[in-house]
Amino acid sequence: MSGYDRALSVFSPDGHVFQVEYALEAVKRGTCAVGVKGADIVVLGCEKRTAMKLQDTRITPSKIAVIDHHVCLAFAGLNADARVLVDKARIEAQSHRLTVEDPVTVEYLTKHIAGIQQKYTQSGGVRPFGISTLVIGFDPNDKTPRLYQTEPSGIYSAWKANAIGRSSKTVREFLEKNYEEEMDREATIRLAIKSLLEVVQTGARNIEIAIMAAGKRIEMLPFESIEQYVKDIEAEKEAEAAKKKPRGQTSSN
Amino acid sequence: MSRRYDSRTTIFSPEGRLYQVEYALEAISHAGTSIGILAKDGIVLAAERKVTSKLLEQDTSAEKLYTINENMICAVAGLNSDASILVNYARVYSQDYLKLYNEEIPCEALVRRVCDLKQGYTQHGGLRPFGVSFIYAGWDPIYDFQLYQSNPSGNYGGWKATSVGANNATAQTLLKQDYKEDCTLQEAGELAMKVLSKTMDATTLTSEKVEFATVGKDKEGKVYCHLWKPAEIDVLLKKFGLAKKVEDEDDE
Amino acid sequence: MDVILGITTANEVIVITSRAFVRGVSILKADDKDKTRILSPHTMMAFTGESGDTVQFAEFIQANIQLHEMRNAVELSPSAITSFLRNQLATSLRSRKPYNVNVLVAGYDEAKGKPELNWVDYLSAKVSVPYAAHGYAAYYTLSLLDRWHRTDLTLEEGLKVAEMCVAELKKRLPIDFKGVDIKVVDKDGIRTEKVIE
Repeated sequence: MSGYDRALSVFSPDGHVFQVEYALEAVKRGTCAVGVKGADIVVLGCEKRTAMKLQDTRITPSKIAVIDHHVCLAFAGLNADARVLVDKARIEAQSHRLTVEDPVTVEYLTKHIAGIQQKYTQSGGVRPFGISTLVIGFDPNDKTPRLYQTEPSGIYSAWKANAIGRSSKTVREFLEKNYEEEMDREATIRLAIKSLLEVVQTGARNIEIAIMAAGKRIEMLPFESIEQYVKDIEAEKEAEAAKKKPRGQTSSN
Repeated sequence: MSRRYDSRTTIFSPEGRLYQVEYALEAISHAGTSIGILAKDGIVLAAERKVTSKLLEQDTSAEKLYTINENMICAVAGLNSDASILVNYARVYSQDYLKLYNEEIPCEALVRRVCDLKQGYTQHGGLRPFGVSFIYAGWDPIYDFQLYQSNPSGNYGGWKATSVGANNATAQTLLKQDYKEDCTLQEAGELAMKVLSKTMDATTLTSEKVEFATVGKDKEGKVYCHLWKPAEIDVLLKKFGLAKKVEDEDDE
Repeated sequence: MDVILGITTANEVIVITSRAFVRGVSILKADDKDKTRILSPHTMMAFTGESGDTVQFAEFIQANIQLHEMRNAVELSPSAITSFLRNQLATSLRSRKPYNVNVLVAGYDEAKGKPELNWVDYLSAKVSVPYAAHGYAAYYTLSLLDRWHRTDLTLEEGLKVAEMCVAELKKRLPIDFKGVDIKVVDKDGIRTEKVIE
């Protein structure tokens, strides 16, 4: 630690780039976001900070950003950093259309975002971006759902389901346990919400859900439906708990 | 321990925090309070100006409230020199947008643009962040009347009532207590002044210590931004019963 | 020798563009030469001029308007889009190699609930008009439009006027322009209404 974390991004003798590691800490301080792939759709779920009484929710920025009609992303970490990175991604998406007459593929865009993040770990006089992102969407003329993650270091990876931000480890473990291949729309949305409920105590009010399907634009799930899912999940949990209880009682009797 | 991370440009601390930004916020918490309140028919901004000397000319300029464009005004708290750079940037950008699209810039687009500039100063080396928080009040056809607050990190959010600067925690509590949804511009004005009088050390307010501005619509439905003149503010204060008593003035 | 024509009716704008790709007095391709680009859900542009310049410029404007839409999550009004387009064209005009493009911007202003047609020429003159044409089409159709256009036309009446214009052009123009595409912009967006072969 002797000074190797002071200069912006240099190796320490034992091979760490401290600024990048610290940036990851900033990500962990951010609100949680999950991405889940189903058979035909891909879902983003975000934890929303509780709005204070005086906050104007209509004009408070969302954590889910549309990059082009067929790609969007959610982030965890520093909001302002994310805004700037999102803007760069949007420019690239349109510039790509202009130069090759095709919309970007999700992987191309992810690679571009990760590339920018990498550049900020190696250039002079800058700090890395304090955000991780989950990029979802569909390639043009393709029905395969895509889900990628990028990190402050510039690493990107493809996932079936993943979480970033606060308590992402807990959520990822939950997803690992409960993920199934080829889920239908209902099951995919349900899993996304259920996994978020692992860390979001306050329920539907603090959850944001975005759904993408092939050839369609982003769909933000309305509050009422999220609430319905949450209710169903809670009811199911209670039923399960109730089922366990009588058995427990009989054994003690 | 933390000394290592606060001496130079903006970099992450081991906990993933940006101390420079947090210190900038600290600087702002010593500045005069600014308050913004959204009403159903407009917005008020009120700010405390710290009078340093009796010899200071009062009529020359506002130091807390600025017009940005036809539809927007803002209140600042923090380093005034930094603020004027950003206000100028916002004004120029508004005009650029007007020139390009022949329409006023939507409020959020402008707020976002200024915040992006602020963000840049927290990421690119060798620079310190801007030491100012803003309250923006504006109108556009997309979201009608809007109130935003931004801070040195480049974050911003929408508010119904908010405050920045010294005693802003107190101000926020008072606002939370007394803010009514769908209040009128008149009521919002009164609330703003009342909160300001409580957060300021002085028991009475005068136009020397307070700046006041409103965004609203006139009888024809046209949006106006009005930075109140000292004389107008004095009349208002008298109306709200926050001005100095007449007898006191006679004594002087 | 392209045909570019726009007619506003009470609730929509009708845009007529010829199908042939013409160079000088030759037809290089008889169909499928789209002379329009969609700029936003409720705004499109039709163009004519130096081939190459036209598409390049149109797609540049398209990309920028889409970027604006992504950034701000709101659609620009047709008049704002036209102002932007005019500004870009005017900047280009004063460069070493200006774009040579004439444009019609047809849109539906959702806020005002009105259709809107803007005419912009290669010198960046911009004007909002009830009906407009570029090139030779203007010589033969403006008189017809002067006679038959009303601001309260229904879509059917508007299309009838459009067909009159096309018939006149077929009669008068020295080159067969191989029919036209007729597009309509209204509150529901942009659609191809019909193709006259």
